[in-house]
Amino acid sequence: MRTNTRKKTAKSLLFSLLATLALSLPTAHAIEPDSDWTAVVEEARGQTVYFNAWGGSDRINSYLQWAADNLQEQYGVTLKHVKVGDIAEVVGQLEAAKQVGRNEDGNVDLMWVNGENFAAMKRNSLTWGPFADNLEHTNIVKDSPSIQFDFSVPVDGLESPWGGAQLVFIHDTAVMDEPPQSAAELLTYVVGGARFTYPAPPAFHGTTLIKQFLIELTDNPEALAKPVDAATFDEVTEPLWVYLDTLHPELRGKGKSWPNSGEATRQLLDDGEVDIALSFNPNEATAAVRSGQLPDSVRTYVFRDGTIGNTHFVTIPWNASAKAGAMVVANYLLSPEAQARKANPDYWGDPTVLDLTRLNEEDRKAFTDIDLGVWALPIGSGKVLPEPHASWAEALEQAWIERYGS
Amino acid sequence: MERRTATSLLGWGVLLLFVAPLCAGFLGTLLPAFGLVPGLAETEGFSVLFADARFWPAVRLTLQTGFLATALVMVLTIVCLVCVQRTRVWRWVLASLPPLLAVPHAALAVGVLFLITPSGWVARVFSPWLTGWERPPDFWVAPDAEGMTLVLGLVVKEFPFLLLAALAQLPSLNVEASLSIGRTLGYSPARCWSRLILPQLYPRIRSTLLIILAFNLSVVDMALLLGPGNPPTFSVFLMSLVNDPGMRAAASAGALILALGVFASFVGLYGLEQLISLWAKARRANGRRGATLNRWRGVGVGLVSAVLLFSVLGLVMLVLWSFTRRWRFPDALPQQWSAAHWATRSDVLVQPLVLSVYFAIGTMVLAIVAAVVWLELERLNRVPQINSVWFIPLLVPQVTLLFGWQAVALLMGADGHWLTVLYSHWVYALPYVVLILATAWREHDPAWHHAANTLGGGYWRVLSRVHMPLLAKPLCQAAAVALAVSVAQYLPTLLLGAGRYQTLAIELVTSFGGVDRRVIAALALMQSLLPLLAFFAALIVPWIIMKPRARAWQR
Repeated sequence: MRTNTRKKTAKSLLFSLLATLALSLPTAHAIEPDSDWTAVVEEARGQTVYFNAWGGSDRINSYLQWAADNLQEQYGVTLKHVKVGDIAEVVGQLEAAKQVGRNEDGNVDLMWVNGENFAAMKRNSLTWGPFADNLEHTNIVKDSPSIQFDFSVPVDGLESPWGGAQLVFIHDTAVMDEPPQSAAELLTYVVGGARFTYPAPPAFHGTTLIKQFLIELTDNPEALAKPVDAATFDEVTEPLWVYLDTLHPELRGKGKSWPNSGEATRQLLDDGEVDIALSFNPNEATAAVRSGQLPDSVRTYVFRDGTIGNTHFVTIPWNASAKAGAMVVANYLLSPEAQARKANPDYWGDPTVLDLTRLNEEDRKAFTDIDLGVWALPIGSGKVLPEPHASWAEALEQAWIERYGS
Repeated sequence: MERRTATSLLGWGVLLLFVAPLCAGFLGTLLPAFGLVPGLAETEGFSVLFADARFWPAVRLTLQTGFLATALVMVLTIVCLVCVQRTRVWRWVLASLPPLLAVPHAALAVGVLFLITPSGWVARVFSPWLTGWERPPDFWVAPDAEGMTLVLGLVVKEFPFLLLAALAQLPSLNVEASLSIGRTLGYSPARCWSRLILPQLYPRIRSTLLIILAFNLSVVDMALLLGPGNPPTFSVFLMSLVNDPGMRAAASAGALILALGVFASFVGLYGLEQLISLWAKARRANGRRGATLNRWRGVGVGLVSAVLLFSVLGLVMLVLWSFTRRWRFPDALPQQWSAAHWATRSDVLVQPLVLSVYFAIGTMVLAIVAAVVWLELERLNRVPQINSVWFIPLLVPQVTLLFGWQAVALLMGADGHWLTVLYSHWVYALPYVVLILATAWREHDPAWHHAANTLGGGYWRVLSRVHMPLLAKPLCQAAAVALAVSVAQYLPTLLLGAGRYQTLAIELVTSFGGVDRRVIAALALMQSLLPLLAFFAALIVPWIIMKPRARAWQR
């Protein structure tokens, strides 16, 4: 099947009247989501995979660079991390490409998504197919509801799990020894002079925090598991807006100026401009203390009744240029080697999606040897609350922007 | 005759390459705004835009920051010319201008932030011994909701630009003569300036002021770093729309409104100019001589020194933070130093550096070649002298041109290609290169050519052995500027590169929110060092080129 090997048959660059024009002739894709794995690996060799992933953390960027080196060595796949500020923009670009009929040679081969972005991709058929069930490492992944349902949306193999996450709070014991244990307590603390702020939605941490508040405050929690109903939205969310109306004037920046990411709140904590930082990584504080970005006196915790947790995934767009390569990358990211390094706070500290009981002794040891440090969320201490249905994110973001965004 | 046509066609080709993306960009914004592009934008975007709650707040914020920053730049420039010349500070002002001009906006913005946040260096230096602050104060934040942080950043960056433009014009204004005539008649120096010199100077720096105004009203990278987020400035607001497929029409409509707004601002500025000149005319004849300047001179010197010191300190902050391990409020210097991130984070530092260098060198070579081709043909009368066209990319907001250019590239499948990115850098660098070289080329004494021709030198020989070496200085300056422009390009690289080309500019802005402050500092420092090195080379290289010739001359 040599002739089927994907190669750019002709790539001619024409300086036209309007712009530099790169014409790529359509190429045949031998690989399907359910192709034989050895064929996938063979086809992937020599491919370049453009991986669009949030680039706001240099630790994650370094981790991907490490993965790229190994992928090159083990599979001959070149991984290029395309750093994006908000993956929703990439979903938008894909929708635009779909509209203009660019069904081949897309710019994105693999992307890091979950929640509302995955829901949007699935809804608009921007995903390629059920490749995730076909990966070599699928059999060592955990059986967990948050891996089968991404914000209540069935995954159906259209995306492959990459890591777990939970909303956590980091506080400095030198400043605040007993931090607030619920949304209500947080308000009391902030009104009493504690320094706090959160990233403005649609920044990921900000959206998650208001979802957390909503779960705690609403009188109608069962509505959150279902798609947003416009008829009851105001009623369900009313307590949230009452809460935020009181909270905002007391925040750092008086509710008029906001940090632009969760990581920024970590930096503000180190600067002493806030007393509590937000993170979606239970081990971030350990990594930050070890690299000199937070004081030794910080600790991580979650609210008494738990905080929102979820799983994040990678997916392949329908028009990806290097689908086989993208599958190899997704599979490598699930390897015990890659997952163990990712779980280590020295590199990233992101909880694994693997079921450790399904690993061999040596691989399991790589995980159990990791020293999470006293700064991380103590294992087993954080009750995990499920994400509301994917449709809530956008509805809440819009309502928030209408009220506080201008 | 044949060759004549062929060579002038070459010149027109260069101009076409320059103008084509501008036209494409304009059409690519105009048509989607009215919903005329099937598949991309099918209904007009204006109503969606006006219905958006962020529209008016963003407009208000943009006008506020853009005009305030421009006015402050103008005031500072005048103050500097009137008060600081002929003082001891003047030498330092002159020395600080080239490096401050070379430093990219984004890098300087990062430096400014390191200074002025409540936990920034300025607060640290005075705490707690003077202020009593054991923790950072909480009565201000930076960036702030009113955009004053952005104004500060813009002023710090644009003031040297206008000052340099003014300084270039002073020799032809005969300042000394005006001052001594005025003084003989008993006018104070300040009145000599306001009544004799400024009315002559202003028309000559007007185009620079317009470039600054257009820039201040439409900047994206600095507004992302220093501007408020909720609502953001208008350009940043449009950036949040353009990648949303349903919003292409609205984004394009907004980009048109921005261009019209900038144009209206030009007209407004012209009106203001007329009013001031009427008022000044009446004042000019009133005969009052005015008090001495001495009282105010100190204030002016203080103000200008403070602004320049601020920029320089911002750069120092980049160096300090990039070598910091631990540095908490209120310490004035890091508690623990470390060069480790330069080594351990080299994977996130080296690639953007290499990519920036590639684009910068490509841009530099192509821009110099294109400008030399055009100016040579102009000198040989094969193409006419054209000045205004080169200003287009500097006066039209980047957002307006690039949204359209991106749409065209998207439709042609050329987005995300490195050539498209290089092309956009070239379009933004070429105006500066042409404008710098044009003066030198046009003023170049034709006697050199006649002499060299008489000695038997052919065209190419004369060009390469006589003409170019004699113009080595402006050529090197233009090359350095081209490199600096390329290194600073954020929006073209982002929009046309489909995010694939992580140059220093992109890396710095996109990762600003989350990355380690020490890595941010290192990125900003590298982004500053590239153009600084280029400007340094531009000083040295002509000297090296001319030295053996000068020696031969003496012999």
